[in-house]
Amino acid sequence: MQRVFVPAAALCALMFAVAPFLVVGAPYESTMGLVQKIFYYHAPAGMTMFLAAFVSGIASGVYLFRGSRTGDRIAAAAAELVVLFGAIVLVTGPLWGRKAWGVWWQWDARLTSSLLLWMMFVAYLLVRRYGGPGSEKLSAAVALFGMANVPFVYVSVNFWRTLHPKTSVVSTLQPGMRGPFWFCVGAFVLLFVVLLISRVRLAQQLADLDALYLQAGDRASA
Amino acid sequence: MRRLRQWILMSAFVLATTPALGAMQPAGPAAQDGFVPASQLPPATEQLPATPLVAAAYAFMWVATLAYVFLLWRRLAAVDRELTTLRNEIGGKP
Repeated sequence: MQRVFVPAAALCALMFAVAPFLVVGAPYESTMGLVQKIFYYHAPAGMTMFLAAFVSGIASGVYLFRGSRTGDRIAAAAAELVVLFGAIVLVTGPLWGRKAWGVWWQWDARLTSSLLLWMMFVAYLLVRRYGGPGSEKLSAAVALFGMANVPFVYVSVNFWRTLHPKTSVVSTLQPGMRGPFWFCVGAFVLLFVVLLISRVRLAQQLADLDALYLQAGDRASA
Repeated sequence: MRRLRQWILMSAFVLATTPALGAMQPAGPAAQDGFVPASQLPPATEQLPATPLVAAAYAFMWVATLAYVFLLWRRLAAVDRELTTLRNEIGGKP
C-alpha cells in the first residue's frame, strides 16, 4: 500500500494545483455568473462524501458479519472522511445558495437529508470515542444506517420540491464545464484514497501500540 | 370612574403616537405614473457581490483539508515515536 501512497499523494497535489486554473478557464453560467464556480468543489465534495459513506458502511458490514478488524479500521477512517467532506459540502452549499437563491439555508429534502447524513457520521465518531467497550459494533450499525441514507439523499431532489438542482445537472453540463468538473471529481476521489490510506495506517499503528503495551505488561508481570 | 379615565388616557396616547410611528417608517420608492421601459432603467448593480462568497468557499475547503492533513500527520508522528520507544524498551529487556 505504501508503494501506491507516494505517487497517489503527488498526483493528488498536482491535480489540486492545476484545478483552480481549469475552474477559472471554465465558461460562466448565464444566470448565476461567478458564484457558480463553487460548483466545481461543492459537487465533487458531495460525491466523495457519498463514496466515503459507502466505504464506511460496507466495511462496517464486513466487520459486523465477519469480525474483520481491518474492516473496522477502514470503516472508522472512512467515517472521519464523511465528516470532513460533508463539512465542505455543508459550508460551500450555503455560500452558493445565499447568492443564487437569496437564502443561506432551506429546510428542504436535499439539504436536510445531507445534514442528517453528516450528523449520523458525527454520531458514529462520538460513539466510537466515548461509547466505551463494545462501541465498535454499535458504531458499525450507525454506519450501516448512514450508508442506507445515501441513495435517499441522492434522489431526494427528483422526488420533492426543492431549490437544489436536480441530479440531471451533471449529465447535462456544457462541454466547457464538463472537463474541469470531472477533473475536480478525480482530484477529490484521489484525495479521499490518500487520506483513507493514511488514516487506516494510523489505526493499524494504534493497534500495534496496544499489542506492544500488552506484551510489555505481560513481561513485567512474569 | 378611575378605570374610565385610564381608558381615555390610553386611547388618547395611542391616537397621538400612531401618526408618529407611521412617520418613522423608511420612505419607499416614489409611486410611478406608468410602466417604465427596460431600456430606461439605470444600469443593474450587483446587490450581493459573488467574489467574497466564492473566495470563502474555496478558502474553507483548503483550510478544512489542510487542518485534517496536519492533525493526521501529527497523530501519525506521535504514534510512530511511541512505537519506536516501546519497541526499543521491550527489545532492550531480556
